[in-house]
Amino acid sequence: MEYKKEHELRVSQLKFIGKVLSVFTHELNNHLAIMKESIGLIGDILSSQKSSVQHGLEESLKTIQSIENQTGKTSWLCKQLSSFGHRMDNPLSIFSVNESVEELLVLLNRIANQKKISFEKDFQENIPVIHNDPSKLQFLIFCLIEEGLRRLDRNGRIIFKTTRSGGSIAINIIQKGNFIETDEKGLCSNEISQHVINQLGGTIYQEEGGEGVTITLPISRHSGSEMAD
Amino acid sequence: MKKKKEIKVLLVDDEVDFVDTLAQRLKMRELMVATVYDGEQALSFIKKIEPDVIVLDLKMPGLHGMEVLREIKQLSPHIQVIILTGHGTEKDEEEAKRLGGFDFLRKPADIDLLVAKIKEAYWEKIERAMTAIAFAEEGELDTARKIIKKEE
Repeated sequence: MEYKKEHELRVSQLKFIGKVLSVFTHELNNHLAIMKESIGLIGDILSSQKSSVQHGLEESLKTIQSIENQTGKTSWLCKQLSSFGHRMDNPLSIFSVNESVEELLVLLNRIANQKKISFEKDFQENIPVIHNDPSKLQFLIFCLIEEGLRRLDRNGRIIFKTTRSGGSIAINIIQKGNFIETDEKGLCSNEISQHVINQLGGTIYQEEGGEGVTITLPISRHSGSEMAD
Repeated sequence: MKKKKEIKVLLVDDEVDFVDTLAQRLKMRELMVATVYDGEQALSFIKKIEPDVIVLDLKMPGLHGMEVLREIKQLSPHIQVIILTGHGTEKDEEEAKRLGGFDFLRKPADIDLLVAKIKEAYWEKIERAMTAIAFAEEGELDTARKIIKKEE
């Protein structure tokens, strides 16, 4: 049974990575396409006999600025993906919950935009870093985001709230808006979510009054009951 | 023969910087270009001003490009649609052609290739319209309709 759950988890994790990579490459390709068109436009302006020198110079400078901005955005996105990848290299590590949630939101923002759903952050500042498995935490949050994106209608919001509560960090994920009925199946079953949270040594529960789902994680690794070494 | 400047092109893409820069480049190539940033805007636009050719992205907020293509072909089947996407699969390409899309290009596309495809799409539209008129004048209205809808 344990083996079956673990296998199911690995399959879902691979789908999760595939999804993140496909969103990311789409985003990257868009920035590269803008850079290509911008460089092309400079070439067009410089080779155009019609444009006056002053107009050509102004347009070229504006376009160069656009290339610089796009390069910056692309480089920043690459950094997020690199960090996301490294979390899988080294499963047990000390990390900031806020940063790992933020990283996931950046990589998944495009999917949310396409469905006209917004992500909102309400992170408590200066919460302590924890020792745990960030890639499994990201996977679990991804499953909850995916569920929100399936259930929420356009203009819905998914709010991510982090707080310190005693020896734990709580991540509250709240879906707001109109809900639609869907038969579409999610990436992970309740059984898999429970399996992951057990491995993280935390808890996951539905808040009363529709206030979303809360994940709690121990600040100290040793407070995890079933966490793998 | 119409001058190039009379070919009306509508660019539909949610990447504002991309679409604005591409529009400038196409204008420098003597095309009349308008831009909108999502599918809903594209459908409202064509109800007011009818372009000859639409260059359409697939993954956009709200309506997906494929739904927009389907709607365009219902509203104005004679408008030619070229898909220009950064994320298209072979399945998407097949679906776009099935829905009546003229061609399927991937970003970043070569500007000369894009211009050539726009002109090709435009001339095909004109040829189709002239053939349909000829059939209509002969009283063969069904045939004329099928030609416009590419159902022959």
